[in-house]
Amino acid sequence: MTTPIPAVANNKANITTAEYVKLTIYNEYGNLANNNVYTFSSSYTSDTIDGVEYSPLGGLLAVGQQNRSLRVTNGDTSVQISGIGGNNIYAVLESQGKIRGSKIEVTRGFFNPNTMVLANAVVRFTGIVTNYSIQEDREGLEDNFTVTLDASSFKTILENRIAGRKTNKNSWQFFDATDSAMNNINSLAGFTFDFGSDPKSKTVVPGYNGGGIPGGGGGMTKPGDTTNQNRK
Amino acid sequence: MAGLQTIINKASSLLIDRRKVVGLQITRNEIPRVTLTPTKQPWKMELEMPSSLKYYNNRDLLEALDTMDRVSPEIVTFSNNPCLNWIFRYQGTLSTTSTGLLIGSSVQSFNGNQLILNVPVVPGNRVIFEPNDLIQLGNYPYPFTSTTRVLGGSGTVTVTTNRPNILSYNVVGLSVTVGNACKFNVFCPNMPTYKLIPGGYTNINGSTINNALIEFNDSFQLYEYVGTA
Repeated sequence: MTTPIPAVANNKANITTAEYVKLTIYNEYGNLANNNVYTFSSSYTSDTIDGVEYSPLGGLLAVGQQNRSLRVTNGDTSVQISGIGGNNIYAVLESQGKIRGSKIEVTRGFFNPNTMVLANAVVRFTGIVTNYSIQEDREGLEDNFTVTLDASSFKTILENRIAGRKTNKNSWQFFDATDSAMNNINSLAGFTFDFGSDPKSKTVVPGYNGGGIPGGGGGMTKPGDTTNQNRK
Repeated sequence: MAGLQTIINKASSLLIDRRKVVGLQITRNEIPRVTLTPTKQPWKMELEMPSSLKYYNNRDLLEALDTMDRVSPEIVTFSNNPCLNWIFRYQGTLSTTSTGLLIGSSVQSFNGNQLILNVPVVPGNRVIFEPNDLIQLGNYPYPFTSTTRVLGGSGTVTVTTNRPNILSYNVVGLSVTVGNACKFNVFCPNMPTYKLIPGGYTNINGSTINNALIEFNDSFQLYEYVGTA
């Protein structure tokens, strides 16, 4: 689905834009309501987007590259904010590591070039903070403090995610003790099904007192069943 | 002593830079395309100092500059020196007080770069603001300029300012100061160092003492301190 952006439609030769960054640090696992939200923008004034006020005093220094592709692709970016004043460093350190995993959204706002009033805004990046760094660069008498947040898109997060459940009784009932959907799976483990082929032989499932697989739509072999193996 | 004010008063040249933050590309078929980031657009001024300043007579100035360093801002004006007050002279025709207040005027609203003022009713051919007229709201030393000629005719005028409303304060009802009475809150990020060149003896109470000429290693690049606007 595409999102039209009137401010840049028809190859406009002159656009006025600012970037808005929203950082949501979750303080408690499983409780999304317990969070701290920090906002930064490159605008000249406080702007409110979707009910969130973005302060121009957050000290946004730079927003890294954001990939644009027709397909859903992985994209990493970084956000640099000023370390001078201490608020931003405090926000990072206060979270005691929770800043890793916090949600970060980058929105681009488009202004009316005649009145310099914010006209509309479009979300350009949504991801998770994967790392942070606090740098002090001193050259002679020039001292710079920078807080850098590295962020990955949700697709990267999903690719790296190790979760889910196995198709066996124990794993299934770990999430719901009353779920019996996998109760019979142990008896089927290790069998090979030839789905769609004619039933060639009657197979006895150990412990099930005879009877084929309901439906009878395919042949079935079990380990050591030489008859079926020879027919292949 | 006010260090930066003294620098302004004694400068031999003034360069004003109010350029905006833009992205600029020219396409292969030479079509320009630009983007603008709506920043606070701080005033930037570059002042060159004459090489005739004498050390003995300006030790207080040097101390003030060293104390201020590249950290502290200072509120400066172009009104307190007859050699400078012509630079930002008010070009409109409304009456002002001796301190530059526009009599009978106040701010009605200021959104984006559209400043709406309540002003005295004057004939429609009377000029309220000429382009480049400075406008200061209340006592906040962050002046704006009018980008167009603004005429009277009613009790309300709309001024398109050079930059949007950067003030984080409520501006409704504030007084309006114009012209060279406007103030600038600036600091000097590059604060030049100075070299003393022996010469220029000074006579103090009938006795001649050694003196030196001051040579700054760079011009003074003042930058508006908009972080507190």
